[in-house]
Amino acid sequence: MRHSFIDRFANLDSPLHLLDARTKLVGFTALIVAVLLIQSGRDFVFFSYFFLIAILAGISQIPLGFIVRRTLTILPFIILATLAAPWRGVAGLGALFLRAILCLIILIILTNTTRFAELLRGLRRLGCPQILASNLGFLYRYLFVLTEEILRMRQARDCRRVGHAALKKELSTLGSMLGTLLVRSFERAERMYNAMLSRGYAGEFPVVDPHRFSWPDLAFLAGIALFVWVTFFGFPVLPA
Amino acid sequence: MDVRIGERVAIVGPSGAGKSTLLLHLNGVLMGTGLIRIMGQTLEQKNLQQIRKHVGLVFQDPNDQLFCPTVYEDIAFGPMNLGAPEKEIPFRVEKSLSDSGLDQSMRSRTSHHLSLGERKRVALASVLAMDPAILALDEPMSNLDPRNRRHLIELIASLPATLILATHEMELVLALCTRTAVMDRGKIWADGNTRDLLSNADLMHEHGLEVPLSLKKT
Amino acid sequence: MHIPDGFLSTRIAVSLDAISGATILYASRRVKLAASDRLIPVMGVLAAFVFTSQMLNFPIIGGTSGHLVGGALLGILLGPMAGFLTMATVLIAQALFLQDGGLLALGANIFNIGAVTTFVGYGTYSLLGGGKDYGKRITLAGFLAAFLSLIASATCCALQLALSGTIPLRVGLPSMAGYHAMIGIIEGALTAGILSFLQHVRPDLLKTDIKPKLNVVDWMGALILVAIPAAILAIAGSSGLPDPLQRLLVSNAQSSDSAADAQELLSFGRYEDYVVRAGIFLVFIGIVYIAARLARSRRHSP
Repeated sequence: MRHSFIDRFANLDSPLHLLDARTKLVGFTALIVAVLLIQSGRDFVFFSYFFLIAILAGISQIPLGFIVRRTLTILPFIILATLAAPWRGVAGLGALFLRAILCLIILIILTNTTRFAELLRGLRRLGCPQILASNLGFLYRYLFVLTEEILRMRQARDCRRVGHAALKKELSTLGSMLGTLLVRSFERAERMYNAMLSRGYAGEFPVVDPHRFSWPDLAFLAGIALFVWVTFFGFPVLPA
Repeated sequence: MDVRIGERVAIVGPSGAGKSTLLLHLNGVLMGTGLIRIMGQTLEQKNLQQIRKHVGLVFQDPNDQLFCPTVYEDIAFGPMNLGAPEKEIPFRVEKSLSDSGLDQSMRSRTSHHLSLGERKRVALASVLAMDPAILALDEPMSNLDPRNRRHLIELIASLPATLILATHEMELVLALCTRTAVMDRGKIWADGNTRDLLSNADLMHEHGLEVPLSLKKT
Repeated sequence: MHIPDGFLSTRIAVSLDAISGATILYASRRVKLAASDRLIPVMGVLAAFVFTSQMLNFPIIGGTSGHLVGGALLGILLGPMAGFLTMATVLIAQALFLQDGGLLALGANIFNIGAVTTFVGYGTYSLLGGGKDYGKRITLAGFLAAFLSLIASATCCALQLALSGTIPLRVGLPSMAGYHAMIGIIEGALTAGILSFLQHVRPDLLKTDIKPKLNVVDWMGALILVAIPAAILAIAGSSGLPDPLQRLLVSNAQSSDSAADAQELLSFGRYEDYVVRAGIFLVFIGIVYIAARLARSRRHSP
């Protein structure tokens, strides 16, 4: 049951976990925008953002090993893309690379401190259209059902073959597997629809019991705003 | 076919007899020719929502019925659609969970982390939350191991609603229902006392069924 | 093909975020208006399907591996609007769960991998008469639809990277378009295979009521949306843009906006200028045509 890549650490209890999903969505997105605006050569700014992220990561109680492993998985693509952009000097390339890494880690922290159901609710409250939210909910729910089906089909296939077949045969087997999975998905959707109707579904998905926005949320957002202000405009904080 | 309040009726028949299809007509998911009256109201397009308040349908595969990210949301789905006030929802969920023999800690769990037995109970709870007068169950015991079967049978036996049970498992029918209707190829062929019908070997064999072992001994 | 954060200029990333957001809102409304309640669980489960099958890697030549993107397939099965929403769902999920693609770059990814693939796929399919009942035609139309969808998508991606000042077109375009031409063949084969499978098993799932027609207004819209960027590309590749336009296109925090830089970003360098430019122009004309047909056939299906 390998469901862990989505939810593994979302059920912990750090202060970050307890914040409203909306707060985290807005706050972390703001951080990402801020990072993207850091100009190359501003080493001190980069350093301070790394410092902030490290603090946030620490507070979140997400194991360091997990964050590192996740980053390493995405790293090859980032390196590849950085190498394809040759003309801005070492500082420029370094900045490109660092920005990408920072944004990646921020995203990792965001998704691992928020339970998916809450994330969805937060998105809805922030104006996400209902269809998209219900799609995401269903995707999350049926992801594992489908994964299990695929694994079973793959097992069945592996039981009946020896070595590697020609590309054409592999493709056609894959095509049949996908086709079967697709048909089963359609049939499941039909049964789901019947179940939804049976429980009174009439076109609207009700939103359940939203989180309350309170002092810690306000403090978090204010803290982020302050940090971004200071790193970009320096002291004094108040307009001259 | 008439069913009275509080009755427990089993609809038995071989696979493909149309039992599930019949159940889907009871709350208007499928609409055919012919007349259905639930609690005095004729089933038509305009009173479907009303009818669905009264008829709770539990499907064969709980995976089809549990489609929300958390157990809480699945159970709350029904009452919220029926317009229950927001404050009442947590109580309804709590009650449904305990009525189905589940622990309150289930609320924030996701259905894919649950065992089959637990999922069946959550599916039942999600329907019970709507407080239906009539409960229609489609093959409730499929794929369950013996211990879970026993628990589920006890659970269903303790529910106050009128029960319509579609199944081809004869022992289950004996345990739960006093009245049985035999369905085959889309029609009802016999309707009466469970013991009488089920011990009629000819009737059973004619419709692809078996006399249950416990009756054979007598 | 999923662009991580940091590789698009903020200006481009945010504008694509806005475009994708608007498209999502529009598509949601269209699907809702078409009262296709039945489609809602279908979209959800198919989103799970695409997400899962994207995790199924299969080996191609050498050590690389690819997977089914699914945009064209969804466009064909669900229609452009619902198909697009489903792909958007998958992309959001991939960004959130797998950190595949950045958060701010999500708009660009949804545009490239969600909108372009779905619309081009659907458009090509209906253009080639895939909406009718002819057996082989469905498979062929499906193959081409999937193939073109990936190429168009890769082209847009390369363009965005170039306009952001990250990766010049002469590097980005050949590598992305080339790579996706290879992947496109597999995507095409798989899509065609799945469609023919469905023909045998569940033909009712294939729409057969797609009747695209053309209309002056649609041509105008398509022209404005697509042909103008193509023209800019073609001009930029030859004599260079006028200064203000260059500054407009290529100003961001990542590279200076001097005339030379902009020129370099959009030029094709050693590559046979005319051939490449003609190729790109053809792709765009193709997209224009398809967009026009699509815009008209919108009236028949959500």
